[in-house]
Amino acid sequence: MHLTDHLTDVQLNEYLDHEINDRGRVEAHLASCTNCAARLTALQALFDEIESLPEVALSRSIAAPVTRRVRGSGVLPRSLRLTVTLQGVAAISVIILAAPFVGQFISPYLLEIQSLSFADMFLPVQSQWTAWLDLLSQFQVPTVPEFPVVELSSLFMTIIVVGASLLWLIGNGLLLRNQVK
Amino acid sequence: MSAPSDRDLIKRARRGDAGSAEAFGELVTRYQTNVFNVCYRILHERAGAEDMAQDAFIRAHERLDTFDDERPFGPWIRRLAANVCLSHLSSQKISAELDEEREADTGQRPDAVQEARERSEYIRAALASLPAHYRVVIELRHYQEMSYDEIAAELNIPLSDVKSHLFRARKLLAEKLHAPD
Repeated sequence: MHLTDHLTDVQLNEYLDHEINDRGRVEAHLASCTNCAARLTALQALFDEIESLPEVALSRSIAAPVTRRVRGSGVLPRSLRLTVTLQGVAAISVIILAAPFVGQFISPYLLEIQSLSFADMFLPVQSQWTAWLDLLSQFQVPTVPEFPVVELSSLFMTIIVVGASLLWLIGNGLLLRNQVK
Repeated sequence: MSAPSDRDLIKRARRGDAGSAEAFGELVTRYQTNVFNVCYRILHERAGAEDMAQDAFIRAHERLDTFDDERPFGPWIRRLAANVCLSHLSSQKISAELDEEREADTGQRPDAVQEARERSEYIRAALASLPAHYRVVIELRHYQEMSYDEIAAELNIPLSDVKSHLFRARKLLAEKLHAPD
């Protein structure tokens, strides 16, 4: 840039944005060129006008709705997220490692299933359906069905009831923990 | 007892326990006006700006782990809000048409706008009439005081685009604001 050349609009923008390298040379030119100095003043006035906008107040606080949404999003703590990720990685690894063994284990059954024709598979269903229709035709009302009675010890029953209650309480407590202040 | 610092609140918000949502809510209370004003300057519509401000905080909460707490929270959340608004405008197919309509409005009747509104509202209207990517560079440069390099990195655009967007945006603004009555 020659000292006698006028500054371009881009240079004036960069000068006011403090993004020009040769500031001394630009300032020297501005000191001697009324045309460029006037353009710079006009651009500075525009900058001032843009930056003069006052802040506008919110009509209502958005803290409460944001907090609700954040609470509802159920973001896990970092330690738990890490645990979940590790569990996922472990599960995938186990599946990959187990795949050949599982394949080996179920392959005879697969072969058996493949060897069955559609008619072979359909035949038991059809016979079952016929038997059920026969049974229905012989149905007599009223007949009180007899349910098998399973003998359970009182200790076993107590353990079952207490265990189920504890599970229910813990489960609900975990679900509701973020909703209780 | 003194109020907790932003850094303390961020640490608590990251924990993911019962108090984390409240800690984040306190951050929202501190910065909601700033963030809302970023959105309002870009969108020029109160209800939309409030929605976008909420979305910006939700996005911030989701990305809280990526935030470097050695840096101040304010500039980060304001930059994020500008990006949320830009994404919102980009996703709206009608935004370009709205831009044209607004441009046509202010272009045809600057005197009517000037008479009807305060000067600041007139500047807001002129800002809102700019294409979305021009609005965002003006926001980042003038209100968030980011350098050209920082804007380029934030918007993922070349440095030359930042310069040309800013230059053209200011030229358009000057034409609108200083159009003869």
